[in-house]
Amino acid sequence: MSRKNETIQKSSLWEDSWKQLRKNRAAIAGLIILIILIIASAAAPLLTPYSFEQQDLALGASPPSASHWLGTDVLGRDLFTRLLYGGRTSFLVGICATVVSLLIGVPYGAISGYVGGRTDSIMMRIVDILYTMPFTILVIILMVVFGRNILLMFAAIGAIQWLVMARIIRGQVLALRKQAFVEAAVAIGASHRRIIFKHIIPNVLGIIIVYTTLTIPRVMLMETFLSFLGLGIQPPMSSWGLLIRDGASVMESYPWLLISPAIVFSLTLFSMNFLGDGLRDALDPRFSKGKS
Amino acid sequence: MNVKAPILLLCATAILASCAKRETPVEIGNREQILHRGIGTEPKNLDPQTTSGMPEFYIQSAVFEGLTAQQPGDSRPVPGTAERWDISPDGTVYTFYIRPDAKWSNGDPVTAGDFVFSYRRALSPALSNPYAYMLYCLKNGEAFSKGDITDFSEVGVKALDEKTLQITLNAPTPYFLRLLKHHSWFPVHPPTILKFGKIDDRDTKWTRAGNLVGNGPFTLTSWEPNRKVVVEKSQTYWDRDTVRLKEIHFYPIDDMHAEEYAFRTGQLHITGETPMERIKHYQENNPDVLKLEPLLGTYYYEINTQRPPFDDVRVRRALALALDREKIVNYVLKAGQPAAYHFTPPDTAGYTAQARIAFNVEEARKLLAEAGFPNGEGFPKIELLYNTHKGHMRIAEVVQQIWKENLNIDISLLNMEWKTYLTQKKSHKYSIARAAWIGDYEDPSTFLEMFITGGGNNDAAWSNPLYDQLLAKAGREMDKTKRFSYFQQAEKILMDEVPIIPIYFYRNKSLVHPAVKNWEPSLMDRHPYKYVYLEADE
Repeated sequence: MSRKNETIQKSSLWEDSWKQLRKNRAAIAGLIILIILIIASAAAPLLTPYSFEQQDLALGASPPSASHWLGTDVLGRDLFTRLLYGGRTSFLVGICATVVSLLIGVPYGAISGYVGGRTDSIMMRIVDILYTMPFTILVIILMVVFGRNILLMFAAIGAIQWLVMARIIRGQVLALRKQAFVEAAVAIGASHRRIIFKHIIPNVLGIIIVYTTLTIPRVMLMETFLSFLGLGIQPPMSSWGLLIRDGASVMESYPWLLISPAIVFSLTLFSMNFLGDGLRDALDPRFSKGKS
Repeated sequence: MNVKAPILLLCATAILASCAKRETPVEIGNREQILHRGIGTEPKNLDPQTTSGMPEFYIQSAVFEGLTAQQPGDSRPVPGTAERWDISPDGTVYTFYIRPDAKWSNGDPVTAGDFVFSYRRALSPALSNPYAYMLYCLKNGEAFSKGDITDFSEVGVKALDEKTLQITLNAPTPYFLRLLKHHSWFPVHPPTILKFGKIDDRDTKWTRAGNLVGNGPFTLTSWEPNRKVVVEKSQTYWDRDTVRLKEIHFYPIDDMHAEEYAFRTGQLHITGETPMERIKHYQENNPDVLKLEPLLGTYYYEINTQRPPFDDVRVRRALALALDREKIVNYVLKAGQPAAYHFTPPDTAGYTAQARIAFNVEEARKLLAEAGFPNGEGFPKIELLYNTHKGHMRIAEVVQQIWKENLNIDISLLNMEWKTYLTQKKSHKYSIARAAWIGDYEDPSTFLEMFITGGGNNDAAWSNPLYDQLLAKAGREMDKTKRFSYFQQAEKILMDEVPIIPIYFYRNKSLVHPAVKNWEPSLMDRHPYKYVYLEADE
């Protein structure tokens, strides 16, 4: 996207978008928070003297203190450390699985909607069929066939999420296909590939981004469910979803075990939504052109 | 004004009434003798001959009664539906005399023929009763159950007349009268069974409310799936004058936190479980309601003795010796469970094993080095399998850490949902797995017989001819001292070869409302309802 000389239009689109985004304070705050959280998770070993699996059974669950900023869990493990390491898992799963769903869902939906007719029907019926497959059963089948594997988890989640993505994109493309600028492109003689990827997809980018910001938190929670079935991560590794689930079950006795993971998770979710909102406004070609 | 005043008054009363504290089900129950009991999981069925769980037993023991019964807080068998019995001098023939006034809930008399029918049903191959093996002590019982013989008259159960039942056993079974308290020995009402299907049909409608006919102190009134099961006092039970409760309501509440909440808000008199995290709270604030009582069960890790490196006894011993059980019971369980250094729970019908597997890290390291893994080097990455449950996960995490610290070996944890976990274990596709055994009757044999060669629950695939011999000898022996000495020797072998690593002995962790009387500690979690009554302290 930095090849500025290729087309004037394109480079200005990105620059305009960035200008637009910077004006949106909530989006920028979200972006900053997300960057901080990601860096903190990535740099976990530098930020904490404890390891995520080191237990102090005699200490047990202790409330926040000077030595343990967020307290310790029932096995005496430092919650701050587990939160940082959990962030690694959650971001990794959230981002990877969402990318998988985008890579499959966007082209699939775009092609289906653009080509239309019988191809469209067939492609959408395939989505319908896959959609009826119960997620739990699919996961258990995958687990039995391929064994336990974190990559498999991305695949499993991605394989479910792309269906919704494909449907949404198709709906949008169906509407765009009839618009004047697409017809103009066809008239000029642009190839189908060029029309889809240069003209149509930029126009649905807003929807894609908003939906992505919604998908990431959902995928993070889904990981908890998969871990519960034995497919996801295994203890003593942590993830935000697992920390929240564990915390919720002991919330009356040890409330701090729920509060801080829940705050961090909500913060991530809000940040992503604000950022997504901002990005949608900034990236929508119709929108930005009207203003700049 | 005239019209408005009464309306205002009405509103005020309504508001006041809604503010006043409403009587909880427990308070109403205390007044009306209605017991509310949490039973954990929804019962699969109420048929005593096709079920194996405790939730089912909690209800079955109210609705049915075996030949023998027990008193609160005393596991010794007392006359139940049989008023007395004779035992032949060699201990293999029992003659039971059924009470003349024993009646089914529809008024039919309970006859010896009903018991013959019931035991035939329990052993029918087509019924696939999970507890059929409990009746294998009957002469030819096993052969009939496995389909080797089809003529039930060859099995050692005979009705001598309407009220006299003769039972012939393979061998003297000193704990036979205790065995009869188990639900697999409960009688069922033949006409009811036959009305809804054949003798060996599973899951027919005979156990539905309205259909079910039992001989116990209570009868089934209603069963709302996933909500509650209600039983009420039977009007035909022979000892109905003793029964003081009017009704018992059983609530299947899977989530123990929800169950605890229900107890706290006056919905339940008795819970099945107490969450680990709440135990401290009750110990400090309300110690009277928390009942932490010994239960006849052992929590252990099972080792697949066929899979290297665990085919080497030194490796198994090293793992067992390096396990700091006190850490687990003191810091994780925290409900006073005793750490287990042997397999059979202490004082099982008077038997306490002398064999011990110690906690000795030095020795463990030495053995591991001898087996070719000095300081854990080269030890393969193995998996510890457990069924998905928070309690199991915590123990596994601690064990993982302890072995890492003491032996410098890495194990990874693997959780699976219950059915997959069982399949993996049965097909020996595991290295180390979490397991537990709750005794079926009060005798060491219910624990030690698990590990005979080819035993149905011997998932460790362990085999030792001497061990098998000792248990066979104990099975034939009448003399208690000699029997127990065979068990001692057998348990010594088990603890020397450690196909299993005992971790702790179970505790019953229920919450019991102070108004519940005659609810005494029971090793087998058996509380005869007919003596229970409710009396709120003023």
